[in-house]
Amino acid sequence: MRPEDVKICILRIEGTNCEDESLLAFKRLGANVELVHLKQLTGQDVWDSEKRDLMDYHILMIPGGFSSGDYVRAGAIWAARIKSKLSSPLTEFIKEGRAVLGVCNGFQVLVEMGFLPGIDGVMSQVPQAVLTTNDSSRFECRPTLLKYVNNFNCIFTHKLNQGQVLLVPSAHAEGKLLFPTEKAEKIYKDLEENDQIVFKYVDQNGEYAGYPWNPNGSPRNIAGICNPSGNVMGMMPHPERVFHRFTHPDWTRGFSSPVGDGRIIFESVLESVMKKL
Amino acid sequence: MNIPTNFALKRGPELALEGLYRKLDAPFPFNEILLSEANDEQLKALAIESGTGLSLDEMKALVDYFALQGRNPTEVELQSIGQAWSEHCCYKSSKQILKEFVFGIDNPQVIDRGDAGVMEFDENNAYSLRIESHNHPSAVEPYGGAATGIGGIVRDVLCMGCQPIALIDPLFFGNLDTPMDKLPKGTKHPRYLFSGVVSGIRDYGNRIGVPTLSGGVFFDESYTGNCLVNVGCVGIASKSHLYKNRVGGVGDNLVLVGGRTGRDGIHGVTFASAVLTKKSETESRGAVQLGDPITKEPVIHAVLEVARRGIISGMKDLGGGGLSCVCGELAYAAGFGVEVQLDKVPTKEDGLLPWEIWVSESQERMMLAVTDENLEEVLHVFKFNDVEATVVGRVIPEQVARVFFNGVKILDMELKFLTGGPEYCRPREIRKPEQKVGENPPKEPADYTKPLLELLASQNICSRDWVIRQYDHEVRGNTVLKPLQGVLGHACHGDASVLKPVEDSWKGLAITTAVNPWVMAIDPYRGGKGVIDEMCRNLVAVGSRPHSFSNCLNFGNPEKPERLGEFYEALKGLGEAAARLNIPTPSGNVSFYNESESTSVMPTAVLLGVGIHPDVRKSITSDLKAQGNLIYLVGKTGAEMGGSAFYRLAGGTSSQVPDTDIPMLAKSMDAMLQAMGKGFVHSCHDISDGGLGVAISEMCIGGQLGAELDLGAMGSLPSTSKLFAESNTRWLGEVQPKDASEFESLFKEITITKLGEVSGSDLVICSGEELLVDTRISDLENAWRHTLWKQMGGSE
Repeated sequence: MRPEDVKICILRIEGTNCEDESLLAFKRLGANVELVHLKQLTGQDVWDSEKRDLMDYHILMIPGGFSSGDYVRAGAIWAARIKSKLSSPLTEFIKEGRAVLGVCNGFQVLVEMGFLPGIDGVMSQVPQAVLTTNDSSRFECRPTLLKYVNNFNCIFTHKLNQGQVLLVPSAHAEGKLLFPTEKAEKIYKDLEENDQIVFKYVDQNGEYAGYPWNPNGSPRNIAGICNPSGNVMGMMPHPERVFHRFTHPDWTRGFSSPVGDGRIIFESVLESVMKKL
Repeated sequence: MNIPTNFALKRGPELALEGLYRKLDAPFPFNEILLSEANDEQLKALAIESGTGLSLDEMKALVDYFALQGRNPTEVELQSIGQAWSEHCCYKSSKQILKEFVFGIDNPQVIDRGDAGVMEFDENNAYSLRIESHNHPSAVEPYGGAATGIGGIVRDVLCMGCQPIALIDPLFFGNLDTPMDKLPKGTKHPRYLFSGVVSGIRDYGNRIGVPTLSGGVFFDESYTGNCLVNVGCVGIASKSHLYKNRVGGVGDNLVLVGGRTGRDGIHGVTFASAVLTKKSETESRGAVQLGDPITKEPVIHAVLEVARRGIISGMKDLGGGGLSCVCGELAYAAGFGVEVQLDKVPTKEDGLLPWEIWVSESQERMMLAVTDENLEEVLHVFKFNDVEATVVGRVIPEQVARVFFNGVKILDMELKFLTGGPEYCRPREIRKPEQKVGENPPKEPADYTKPLLELLASQNICSRDWVIRQYDHEVRGNTVLKPLQGVLGHACHGDASVLKPVEDSWKGLAITTAVNPWVMAIDPYRGGKGVIDEMCRNLVAVGSRPHSFSNCLNFGNPEKPERLGEFYEALKGLGEAAARLNIPTPSGNVSFYNESESTSVMPTAVLLGVGIHPDVRKSITSDLKAQGNLIYLVGKTGAEMGGSAFYRLAGGTSSQVPDTDIPMLAKSMDAMLQAMGKGFVHSCHDISDGGLGVAISEMCIGGQLGAELDLGAMGSLPSTSKLFAESNTRWLGEVQPKDASEFESLFKEITITKLGEVSGSDLVICSGEELLVDTRISDLENAWRHTLWKQMGGSE
């Protein structure tokens, strides 16, 4: 199967604002990608020609932004809107092993919907985790370094080498991944056992470190996780912003390849899907 | 007798004005104003009471106009004139001076001069730019004022058909450590304003997904009573999707899209056209609009969608004056007129009076001109995006504006008169720099390391990361050079940011901010030339050629001859330099009356400069790259310490501010760009605030590398001048030894000096035998990094 046979849906509502660069990331790899407004899936206020069916796509991406302003807990409003209209097709979509990627606000949405961490089944009725306010209580736009800690369970990262460090910038005010205090230890254990932790924040020496290398104070430096079957991934940093080396923060100090560190994530999922089909 | 609410707020002297209002027969409160019966005192009082702030002469022009019509104006007509003729809308005090010095600068690459200027980017694409002020609203309500400033500037770019791709925001406040008891009555503390303004920009800019790429924060006592909040925006569009701010033709529908109209933002422009008083808080709070980024974000989507589909004739944003300005201007620009059904306008609450709807500056609104044929599709696109869109008027052949409310005609005026505001040639007084400041040089310090560290820690030079990292400067994924440049964790200030705006091209846009109020306050003429020089230096430092700029001119009360004199001299210098370099300024904004009862701001001419980068993959940053590389000083240094950061620190004064040799600037830019094109320059930093000493320090911090310099070759200047003078047209450049001779050969008739090399982890500067500076890079960084954090709090 060729990249152009892979259909990708970049979902948006008012306030999503990383959809253009997310679309380009897949497009540059030759995939058949389109921006789809939530209303095109629910059929509200749209002409027939604009209607879309979620099941026609192989990959769903929920990009970053401030969906509906995020005036309540980030991602909560959009999650509620998707849940009310699309929970069954989306659950079906994930059960079938199709790929779902949530970046930044998209990660927050997947957590709010109960698809991540998704330890007990595809979707939990109530969220099992929360992405809460950064320890600095500020919006943090800064370079972050991510160590790949997954054992190849996640279909978005299988092209990466164990322990490989990627530079992927962060830009968020609510990125601290917390679990219910009483269950936290067990959940961390499950995440390890299910091979669900994908990325951890590290410093320039590859060591686990605190602020600012960990921009939000996330316990255990967790930056990105996937569901147990590895086809749903959420991460706070923005791989679509470093598709080219020339948007890295320090590229003028020298580089070996013009390829940016974020590109490999889009390549990985595209390959996985092409292999399966 | 009926005086509508709000209308009588600004009751002036105790005058019997009631007799001048006559209620007209209408199903809503509606008055005619008996101008014909008013004496001069009453006319003045009316201007105050109506909140229009019109002068006596302007009121008399109204009397004459309506005498000819054989009737009196309605309150709606009086309000309409008040908006259209405000300084903010018609530039009545500045137009003649702008014509004399900057409007003339032309260039085939200027495509349009609308709400935003439009310039050619490449064969198929154009970029647009505009910077304007949102000073008075921000002084009263910093969070909302700054946020709606962003909203307004984004609409200016949007209504040319362009996707907003960059925000710029230069901010000016009083000193952060101002004691509360030194605060003038009715003004808010600089720390509160600073914090509120940054939050407002952050929450609005980040939410609409436009990166904030440049700006600056400046602190000086003169801004205590009247802070300045300037906001700029750059956009990009395919040339085929550009639009004019005018209707297509007779029969076009006027479609109002976006937010609803409310009582917020009433008399914003007239508020902006008067000095702030201690009553501003209570009287003018209602003049501050309320922003809503999550209404705006889909408005951007929907507007760009209909623009790309080519189903609109033209558009314009609703800014100052609201509907009262946009309807007439949109139609009259195409030589037509307009009929408006004001009752069709969706409102936030019931019971708004017609004149309130007509002049309200509620945010997130745009007016589109649409043919009957395209109307259905346009309305659908907005419904799809959950944005309200309503037909409120229609274009008519006669050049008049007629406004109806529930079937009653409430306004009927010729657009020529309504939009043809007055122009003044106000008296101006020009004071020589020597009259303003004397020659009091501070004594040469025994040791130069201490003042260097103090400069790095000073509030106008220290690290801006507290601000910069709160703004998303990478959203849209096209930011090639960020505002902070260098080694991860140690990034330092760059001169300009660089964007890659078009997917299939490596051509780039460099974006910078230039301003130096301290120099301009002493010598507005040299200051005007200097600000163009700084803009060019910044853009060239990253490897781009200066291409255009937008200007925001923040000055005091133009009715004071000395203030207007400053404005005239500044524009003269600015215009001369820009004209000689042929860099056009297709958009701009004048903000007068930036003074409170206690203080007037320094003359503050802010430039948003845009350069074209031939290939973003060759962009150059300010951080030192490698041990052993040579460090060159390009340009001539003089003993021009007037207005310098060092003199302000050391308490000296001088009228000798840096001058600009414009032909030399042109020559130097060419040589620098040639050297960069050949790949000779590995890092580059312009020399400005704090002089050479601060420039090399920032390069060391960003690169985490030391340097050894000998300033002996700079000649027989005092060491303070060598280290801290802010002479124009100068850069520091890092060059590999193997390229040295070829690099030098490019600078014919241009002073360049080999100062030393990148070396070790200390900064060591001597001048011949004399050791001036010897310090660790970590000490420089510690001095530079923490000042704002200490003032504003928060963990680093």
